[in-house]
Amino acid sequence: MLKLFEHNTLNVDDISAEQTAVEVRNLNLWFGNKHVLNDISMRIPKNKITALIGQSGCGKSTLISCFNRLNDLYDGCKYNGEIIIDGRNINSRKINVSRLRTNVGMVFQRPNPFPMSIYENVCYGLKLQGVKVRRHLDDAVESALKQAALWDEVKDRLFESAHVLSGGQQQRLVIARALALKPDILLLDEPTSALDPLTTLFIEELMDSLKKQCTIIIVTHNMQQASRVSDYTAFFHQGRLIEYADSDTLFTMPEKKQTEDYITGRYG
Amino acid sequence: MFSRQSFGLNAVQRQSFVISLTAFFTSLLLIALVSVLILIGMRGMAYFWPEPIYMVAGKHPDGTAFTVFANVFEEPSGKDVRLKYSDSQYPYGSQKQLTKDQVGRVNLAPESAEIKFQDGRRVLATPEYIIVPSKPAQGLEKINAVMDEVALITAQIEELNTQKLAPIHEALSQFDKRDVDEDAPAREKLVASFTEYQKRVEALESTREEYELWVTFADKSAFVIPMSDIQSVDFVSRLSTFEKWKVVFSEIGVFLSDSPKQANTSGGVFPALFGTVLMVFLMTIIVTPFGVLAAIYLSEYAPHSALTTTIRVSVSNMAGVPSIVYGVFGLGFFVYTLGGSIDELLFSDALPSPTMGSPGIFWAALTMAILTLPVVIVATEEGLRRVPEGLKTGSYALGATKFETIVRTVLPIASPGIMTGVILAIARAAGEVAPLMLVGAVKFAPALPIDGEFPYLHLDRQFMHLGVLIYDGAFHSQTDGKSASMMFAACLLLLIVVFILNILAVLLRARLRKRYITG
Repeated sequence: MLKLFEHNTLNVDDISAEQTAVEVRNLNLWFGNKHVLNDISMRIPKNKITALIGQSGCGKSTLISCFNRLNDLYDGCKYNGEIIIDGRNINSRKINVSRLRTNVGMVFQRPNPFPMSIYENVCYGLKLQGVKVRRHLDDAVESALKQAALWDEVKDRLFESAHVLSGGQQQRLVIARALALKPDILLLDEPTSALDPLTTLFIEELMDSLKKQCTIIIVTHNMQQASRVSDYTAFFHQGRLIEYADSDTLFTMPEKKQTEDYITGRYG
Repeated sequence: MFSRQSFGLNAVQRQSFVISLTAFFTSLLLIALVSVLILIGMRGMAYFWPEPIYMVAGKHPDGTAFTVFANVFEEPSGKDVRLKYSDSQYPYGSQKQLTKDQVGRVNLAPESAEIKFQDGRRVLATPEYIIVPSKPAQGLEKINAVMDEVALITAQIEELNTQKLAPIHEALSQFDKRDVDEDAPAREKLVASFTEYQKRVEALESTREEYELWVTFADKSAFVIPMSDIQSVDFVSRLSTFEKWKVVFSEIGVFLSDSPKQANTSGGVFPALFGTVLMVFLMTIIVTPFGVLAAIYLSEYAPHSALTTTIRVSVSNMAGVPSIVYGVFGLGFFVYTLGGSIDELLFSDALPSPTMGSPGIFWAALTMAILTLPVVIVATEEGLRRVPEGLKTGSYALGATKFETIVRTVLPIASPGIMTGVILAIARAAGEVAPLMLVGAVKFAPALPIDGEFPYLHLDRQFMHLGVLIYDGAFHSQTDGKSASMMFAACLLLLIVVFILNILAVLLRARLRKRYITG
């Protein structure tokens, strides 16, 4: 596979506090009695793409859901440890979860546009924040759709239902929806697994261009994707962080046997 | 136990036997449904159809002969004939049932007419001539002109009463209240003008009384009808089919716009139609927010516990409680307890006569809302459950709180489900009669629940309801075919009302579905 993007990366151990977007300290998480995340500690660098890989059920999606406290929605979810974003521990009770979620956007596996117009979808978050001035909304919609590389395709039908869009367009719309809130961090939970290869490539290019403005954390099952787009990669197995390194290192000379087995497809 | 070789049929035959068996019961159902519609439709429309008038000569069972103008109906048995007639003894109509051999000559009577009165009575007779004040008797060709003339006088009297007499009367009672002297000049002036207007009204009334229609019955006996009492004169036997349809439509107009007359056997059903629609409307306003909020709590907020499950099961079971139980509950709790307390708190000067503590349209609507609440809750919960989890998570991920997510995403998507519940509730409430008779629906209400008097919507008033009217009318039906068919007409109307309400709700639901399509 052709190396598409230039990476210029630091060693994970050399990431300074200023360069850190998310710092996880001794995070443990349980669903009921099931210990899903086991003592995770890692620093995720700013304005980089970090990929989380591992088998299904290894806890990587649960981990990124911790970054916007989406796990709070599930009954029986308990956690301890700290997650520091912008110098504040978001696991603290004092955190305004709504504000956290506008700062940490998330895109899911299946495109989930709301049954409204394209325009309404993009300004959903802004309207929740009380933005009412039409001109501000218009500007925000245009710039978010441009960032998500969707503007040219939909500018003439902003007020049509979002469901007329194709799957790839819907996923970009959902990305635009998150970008409209100008988040510092964008969480992508297997964003391309429901899309065809060409659209996948398109979304990957989009991620690379978004790196300038926000930190991207992506969960993926696709090894090529992880090595293509990410600057850093973390490998999880059964709720533990097995290995975390810059992608070049991790994919070319993994330290741990488990990592090597997984990326070469020997298990999982 | 059936063996697989039951009845000695092979597999294909067995299957076609099962199909025919199930299809047979389906067709029975269809036949039942269609015959209900046809019966109600035919009998309902027959009420409006002008029946031809015959001159019937015959013998009573006791041997005395008679000649009458009558509408003739053959009884379903085929042996008997039923006559609805007028004669000098029963000018405003009566009926008799005779065997076919008791009836002699039956001839169409083209000269005779069906004369309908303002108060709902009717006479079958031959109009002869019209008496007009200070003119010779007029021929029948003038009848429409004379009726217009009388209507004009009536309008003048009406105007004098409402525009002149009523305000003066009001002013005089004000004087009474302030203890103004009997011989104060302003008062005397008012009294003088009152007397003057009264004289004018009396003069008009006596002129009006001089307009008369002379008619004769089949036995040549004469009968005088004041023109002011007449609503319409139709020479039914002379009418062409087209003219008959014109009569039908004007009758339908009267039926829809007029009040019931002659103890709900004649006239129109407007107050009942109005009461039914208003009650259903109020019920919808009450039940929709209640049901939707309860369903939101149950499906979105309530913890997954045994208690929630118990509540959910009880709600579904509430739909099966007999409606009369709700009626008794409404009477005992809403009317007596709640209404009684409201009276003590707010309307204590009017006691002991109750204001809210007696059956009325608001209590009826509230009782119906309780009755239809389970339907709305169950359907709404069903709708809420269908909202894809991904959309909710998507909304949370954009910083929406649970409440914002429910209002902005969940409810719009669930709205077709909510509409389904409301449709079912409307259909149930519009057709329900039994509980209403306990909590506010009456045979005859003197006033509509909405009028021009403050506060315009009188929630404490009793109201008329189509279902109650039908129930009441059914008691007359064994003796009076005409009023029975009025009940069929009311049934037809009730069906149409429910149908229209349903269609509106279904259209609305279809629109919402299209708008909030998911997936």
